Amino acid sequence: METILKVKNLWKSYGKINALKGIDFEVREGEIFALIGPNGAGKTTTLRIVATLLSPDKGTVELMGYNVRKDSDKIREMISYLPEEAGAYKNLTGIDYLKFMANFYARDDKEAEEFIKRGEEIADLGERLKDKVGTYSKGMVRKLLLARALMIKPTLAILDEPTSGLDVINSLEVREIIKSFVKEGVSVLLSSHNMLEIEFLSDRVSIIDNGRILETGTPQELKSKYSSRNLEEVFRRIVAQ
Amino acid sequence: MKKFINLLKKEIKELITIQLIVSLVFTIVLFYFIGNIARSEMGKVQGAKDIYVLNLDNSDLSGEILRNLAFANFRINLLEIKDKTLAIDNARKNNIPLLLVIPEGFADSISSFQPKEIETYVLIRSFSMGSSINSELVNQIIVSINNYLSDNILKTKVPNISPSVLKNPIKNKSFIVIKDRIAEGSISDVNNFVVSQSIFIPIILMMVLVFSSQMVLSAIAMEKQDKTLETLLTVPISRNYIVMAKMVASGLVGLVSAGIYMIGFRFYMGGFMGNVPSSTQINEVVQKLNLRFTPNSYVLLGISLFLAILCALALATILGVLAEDLKSAQSASFPLMFLVLIPYFLTIISDINSLSPSLKALVLAIPFTHPFLASQNLMLGNYSIVLYGILYMLAVFIVLVFIAGRIFSTDRVLTMKLRFGRKFRS
Repeated sequence: METILKVKNLWKSYGKINALKGIDFEVREGEIFALIGPNGAGKTTTLRIVATLLSPDKGTVELMGYNVRKDSDKIREMISYLPEEAGAYKNLTGIDYLKFMANFYARDDKEAEEFIKRGEEIADLGERLKDKVGTYSKGMVRKLLLARALMIKPTLAILDEPTSGLDVINSLEVREIIKSFVKEGVSVLLSSHNMLEIEFLSDRVSIIDNGRILETGTPQELKSKYSSRNLEEVFRRIVAQ
Repeated sequence: MKKFINLLKKEIKELITIQLIVSLVFTIVLFYFIGNIARSEMGKVQGAKDIYVLNLDNSDLSGEILRNLAFANFRINLLEIKDKTLAIDNARKNNIPLLLVIPEGFADSISSFQPKEIETYVLIRSFSMGSSINSELVNQIIVSINNYLSDNILKTKVPNISPSVLKNPIKNKSFIVIKDRIAEGSISDVNNFVVSQSIFIPIILMMVLVFSSQMVLSAIAMEKQDKTLETLLTVPISRNYIVMAKMVASGLVGLVSAGIYMIGFRFYMGGFMGNVPSSTQINEVVQKLNLRFTPNSYVLLGISLFLAILCALALATILGVLAEDLKSAQSASFPLMFLVLIPYFLTIISDINSLSPSLKALVLAIPFTHPFLASQNLMLGNYSIVLYGILYMLAVFIVLVFIAGRIFSTDRVLTMKLRFGRKFRS
């Protein structure tokens, strides 16, 4: 599989705090790559840099050969970012929100219609899409946002804690949606501190702690290497070392 | 451009909320209601007013006073009672608003130069405009009669000299000079005329500036509070377009809101002021002094107002980035409000040219000072000052937009925060 995202020696600090201390990883075409680690490990900062929201202090990030610093406009056309605590515009209806977002990516009206139709299918909110977002539950908003992120079939979907704050049923639905979209050629870079979710979703994972990547591999490889039953145990053993 | 229009539509939809519409409708209704009440009160004051008179004199002179009162639109109600105390009691019991008592022997006392006093009783039920205006009118009539009487006496005693010369031996004429134009007239009348012509300009300007800047501040703060900003910053649209869409939408909604408030305000002020026509005399003075807005003046005033709005929007955009949510957006708007209110009040209460040079420079450095000064300067024909103001505001706007664009194109838009609250807490 072709590598679409290359992250090399990434450093970022906020004042005196070093959030990233030389991060390296790659994401391949059509895979789900996950960053796992505790709160404050540097997952969100990494995703924000890839999503062109933050500038790195040092290091390079390249998506399909485009540099995140120099070609941020080009990169924004290829990515779709779902922040951990994202919201949608409360005064718009669900369908208006999807239309609003689709119009940024579509080359013409026909393509915009395709995006919106796909968005409606992913969100699966039925008639509620005609209601204002302000009336939605947290789970409905999250599904709408995920639909927004995936409907345009980005080269890379960047999902920060995609099931954050959702109940079991909604979390399962969201995971199924993500899995099904990878089959259609979308690559996913996601972060989570829910190790079981990552084990279910990801093709490969990087364990990150204190701004550094400690280990990278498939969940199976990591479990074998650290003689563990699940990723939680793997994480505990790596951190203990 | 299609993406910009898409963004602009969204911004306008987000700003025009039910709360905003309800607030605007409520304000219009409230102003209209208060204006109508005021108009009706003023109508009562200007219409025929009842005055009850206890005339204990019944002389030609007291008859003259009553005729003058009737001429001044008072309805004369002569009391049958012949006792002052009873008349006052009667007035109390029957809610009589105005009672005039002309004492017995009043005319004779005037002839013998030992005048008795006319007494006016105003029965107050509320401190409304009507009660004080009625009493003032009676006093003015008495002053006129005093003049009439003293003139008659002077004519009798010194028949060869005009009473007005005797009473006012020094005569004067007032002239107003503006540049090479000169006209005879009262400066206070001209001032009143200019104020009546341009009073709405600073009020409109202040309202538009305040509304538009609060709109843009709220728009950015809402993006942060509702966690939509991060997503918006990752969509494929220029960050400058994001800034511009917010500014244009806020400017438009702010302009419409201020317009609606101004309509309400006109209802309100119309109730108090009515339509006072300017006299022919003042019109002649104004004509001679050329104190009129020309089409060019209107164009320059429009440009000045427009640039002030743009400066306010750009500054509010920068301040909006500092706000984390709607609450902190209110704190962030204070510096801007001060910058608008300082020149607003200064232009109303003082002459900026009379300030010390350093203070004057400081006030002129505030971009919003220039449109407040523009209307008066245009009337006075000081076009160059207005043009300098326009150029200065344009320069300030370019700098502010550049700063706003830089902030939005870097990660400062996410990392800059208002720290005042934390400093106070610590």
